[in-house]
Amino acid sequence: MGDVILTMKGIDKSFPGVHALDHVDLEVRKGEVHALMGENGAGKSTLMKVLTGIYSKDSGTITFEGREVEFTNPREAQDAGIVIVHQELNMLGHLTVAQNIFIGREFMKGKFIDDRKMNEEARKLFDQLGIDIDPTETMSRLTVGKQQMCEIAKAISHDAKVIIFDEPSAALTEAEIEELFKIIRDLRERQLGIVYISHRMDEIKVITDRVTVMRDGGYVGTLITKDCTKEDIINMMVGRVIYEDPKTESQVAKDAPVVLKVEHLNAGRMVQDVSFELRKGEILGFSGLMGAGRTETMRALFGADPKQSGDIYVNGEKVDIKSPKDAVRHGIGYLSEDRKRFGIIVDKSVAENSTMATLDEYMKGLFIDKKKENDVAQKYVDILKTKTPGVDQLVVNLSGGNQQKVVIAKWLVRNCDILIFDEPTRGIDVGAKSEIYHLMNELVAEGKSIIMVSSEMTEILRMSDRIVIMCEGRKTGELGIEEATQERIMHAATLRN
Amino acid sequence: MTNKKKGNAFTNNPIVRAIGVQKIVVVVVLILLLVFFSVKSTSFWSYASLLSIMDYTYYLAFLGIGVTFCLITGGVDLSIGTGMFCYALAGGFLITKMDLPVIVGILVTLAMGIVVGLANGLIVSKGGHAPFLATLCTMMIVRGLGAIITGGSSITWPIAGTPEGWTRNLFKFTLPSGTKVPLGFLWVLLAAIIMSLFLNKTRPGRYIIAIGSNKEATRLSGINVAKYQTLAYLICGFFTGLAALAYSSAFQSMTPGGGGGVELNAIGGAIIGGTSMSGGSGTIAGTILGVFIMSILQTGLPKVGLQANYQQIIIGVVLLVAVYIDVLKNKKLS
Amino acid sequence: MDKIKENAFVKKVGFNSLVLFCILILLYILFAVLVPIVNSDANANFVSWAHILSAMNYACFMGFLSLGVTFVIATGGIDFSIGPVMFCAALIAGYQLTMKEWPLALCLVLCILVGTAFGTLNGLLVTYLGLPSFITSMASMMIAKGLGSVCTKTQPVSWPQLSDASGNGWYRNLVRTQIGDMTFPTGLVILVIGAVICAIILNKTKAGRYILCIGSNREAVRLSGVNTKGWETLAYILCGTLAGIAAIFYVGVYTTVQPGLGDTFNNEAIAGCVMGGTSMTGGVASIGGTLIGVLIMALLQEGIMTMGLQINYQYIITGLIVLVVVYADLRSRRRRN
Repeated sequence: MGDVILTMKGIDKSFPGVHALDHVDLEVRKGEVHALMGENGAGKSTLMKVLTGIYSKDSGTITFEGREVEFTNPREAQDAGIVIVHQELNMLGHLTVAQNIFIGREFMKGKFIDDRKMNEEARKLFDQLGIDIDPTETMSRLTVGKQQMCEIAKAISHDAKVIIFDEPSAALTEAEIEELFKIIRDLRERQLGIVYISHRMDEIKVITDRVTVMRDGGYVGTLITKDCTKEDIINMMVGRVIYEDPKTESQVAKDAPVVLKVEHLNAGRMVQDVSFELRKGEILGFSGLMGAGRTETMRALFGADPKQSGDIYVNGEKVDIKSPKDAVRHGIGYLSEDRKRFGIIVDKSVAENSTMATLDEYMKGLFIDKKKENDVAQKYVDILKTKTPGVDQLVVNLSGGNQQKVVIAKWLVRNCDILIFDEPTRGIDVGAKSEIYHLMNELVAEGKSIIMVSSEMTEILRMSDRIVIMCEGRKTGELGIEEATQERIMHAATLRN
Repeated sequence: MTNKKKGNAFTNNPIVRAIGVQKIVVVVVLILLLVFFSVKSTSFWSYASLLSIMDYTYYLAFLGIGVTFCLITGGVDLSIGTGMFCYALAGGFLITKMDLPVIVGILVTLAMGIVVGLANGLIVSKGGHAPFLATLCTMMIVRGLGAIITGGSSITWPIAGTPEGWTRNLFKFTLPSGTKVPLGFLWVLLAAIIMSLFLNKTRPGRYIIAIGSNKEATRLSGINVAKYQTLAYLICGFFTGLAALAYSSAFQSMTPGGGGGVELNAIGGAIIGGTSMSGGSGTIAGTILGVFIMSILQTGLPKVGLQANYQQIIIGVVLLVAVYIDVLKNKKLS
Repeated sequence: MDKIKENAFVKKVGFNSLVLFCILILLYILFAVLVPIVNSDANANFVSWAHILSAMNYACFMGFLSLGVTFVIATGGIDFSIGPVMFCAALIAGYQLTMKEWPLALCLVLCILVGTAFGTLNGLLVTYLGLPSFITSMASMMIAKGLGSVCTKTQPVSWPQLSDASGNGWYRNLVRTQIGDMTFPTGLVILVIGAVICAIILNKTKAGRYILCIGSNREAVRLSGVNTKGWETLAYILCGTLAGIAAIFYVGVYTTVQPGLGDTFNNEAIAGCVMGGTSMTGGVASIGGTLIGVLIMALLQEGIMTMGLQINYQYIITGLIVLVVVYADLRSRRRRN
């Protein structure tokens, strides 16, 4: 490891209602692979977005190559030598590899583009890095792994001095990961500074020199990889003091029947042979890191996405769910993770949104029974304490928390017995959060059953009777609340194969 | 490390890849059509018939080349049909009713195409309108404009044989022996070669493809998206002007308000030739082939006894099938 | 401005509709003043019952077209086939009436059914095959043009006059009824009734609710357990059916239908719809607004004709109107986001 090339000191960034980064430090040296770890929402992406100029910081300093810098857009950062290789690759699928790498700075022969020279230069680049890719190949025909390598080559060709990898191995095969590591080692030898964002413990141990851990937007500490254990890292990731009491024992009756059974659900790479049970009156927490496949599992279960195989039993009876309509018919309701895109219809009213799943019951002959609709909407506004001037108010004008309540109301109006809440309190202020928790407890007390997908450890521990953990499409753990600890959950969430 | 190869033996064959699967399919379809028509109609292979096919192909090819650029950016230009008529009417009006020299008429025709193309480009890139809606509006506007300029009367460009009629000879040259030579074919070929080079070997062409492939990624690479998007529509407008020249030189009178429907032939031809409506892919060669199929249908169908109305139905169905195949292609990619 | 918006009456009727109504009145005054100036013909007096009736002729059939396309635009799609479909329906039904001597009532039904058939075709292609609506409807427009011509063997069709010997002329009363000395604009009344029915469908029934919500956020509706494909197809079916109805009101006034034409009406119908406040991005639609938009288009058309100008000016103005109105809509959406 050489001298320090990049220092981020005391970085602070807030969004309305959220303190995303709380005096975070990061120091990267030349010739170092520096891991950046933390749970979902710890602030890793936000920190990198501040570094590359997508967000502006509220306070703190960024020093690069001895000078203080502040970038206002990713291109500036790139020109200076700091490049991110994204998880969602930003590439031009219809052009060739070489054309992608040199887009915007093509080699010219007179008025025409010199493709031959571009291919040559690209080949040289790939040789340097020891990558075996044909520069004349169309980008979209490459595997994801190869596309990523092209992106790396592109970064190098921009004379990058610091390269940030954001979850690079998520879409790669084992062989491709080996190739990636070879390249990273090569880059390290060239005295580049590399930031490696990942949750894969075993990879961290293999390829990185130091590890910085973030938690809840704050900086926890930095360890030397070879001197620490996986448990050390996990402790830093989750070692928060939990102020609210976690649930200590399951509230579910010992003889509670199984209301939902899922067996061998398969839906692509993100849902591999997932099986679980839900009992009556239970809150089943689904924990895991980003990309674990929890939302994909729920969507496949709900019929929102196609599945390859899997059996679903509701109250002991096998059911055929091919679309959300089928699922709703069997009494299952799904509160999407992305409320604005999938949950609410923004330019319609609270009342209209509330009855979207049950409109059949609010008809008087051919017409919508507006009075009945408004009454039930108002009923749930009262129950959920939704802050709205009236049920005719357009949902777009409500705050996030209240929008969420409208979505919950929709499923309550439907009187679903099985409710899937996917990140129910995301983007919601503390006050509204506890109201939603209270509501969930009331619902299960009434005999309903809830699956709660959440990335918030405190939430999982507070609300769940049982916890299922997933990692990269597979179910990797199941714990009763009595035996669950943050460490155990995180262990399973990072367990690959 | 092995590349995970997608596709099968046929599509991975290097020669097939170099030419393009779709183009090969199109050529096969073309040959089948030619066989079909020559069998069903004795007059199909006559020289006069071939000349007629050429007449239809010239303007359609120019339109096709132009609209290909818009399609590659992920947009479309619906004003090319009525536009072609409008510009030809305007130019012809100046020549025949205002007694201006032919060259002026030609320049005005081209200039109008360029201006409208530029307008389309600006409305789409700066105004943020959906291309189909924006060009639909300009389609209406130029339709009315053409008629207003000529005062509602039909226009015929000077006929062959007259001193002013030399534009006709540009496209159909009469040899001393009396045979007519489809000279226009050369111009189309020339245009196709030049534009193909432009698309594939110059920066603007490359950026136009990039925009259609991933607008945001192109923007992040520091390229001025609005500029090149506008350029695509400008090119389309220019070629609509050229098409106007081709049309007026090949055919007789043009009535104002006509031309509606022609754009679908051109767009259909481009899609058949492999240009995707979602942008990023498309070749000039493919478009020429696709347009050729359209003009063969247009001339061949009457010869087997199917009049214009049947043609319309068939072309409508062909368009639907081409779009459906395009949709399937895109579904497979994602 | 805000105080006006807060007023209870304004809120009930709709701010947009009021603005449009004002535009309508202003336009009328404008023409009343301009026409005598531009057109030196002594008969060119715009302020007369005859001109209003003439404008109403246009508004009748155009009204039904616009009402129909409002449903499709509400789902976020578009239908460019409505004009030619209307003509195709009139041609096919008219041919059966005049050449095959089918009873009039049956032909009227056939007319509507042709429209419904095309609407169904468009709907299925767009929702089940996933084809983009603009090119699909353009292709079906071609098919409609061709089909109409094929069925009538390329001949134009003239529907019977009121006093026709066969007695089949009574359908003309649907447009205009002569009661003694007075001409009663039945067509207009039926249009308004039709508009009221459409408004009820759009605002008070399940179909309308789903159609608007699909246009706003199709996925959210699907995830609520609704069969979005079926309801979206319904919007296209309604559009086609109304185009079939429009055909009756077209021939009731203009008598003769030429095969192969009709596409200029597409833009005018869309213009009326868009002016009325229906958003091209879907989710927002106003039947009242569409109606006033149609009246404005009718007035525009009548005024331009009376001024002695060609219809081509109307094409240009229509194109400009749509550009401007949609731009304003885009701007206000962007500001909201």
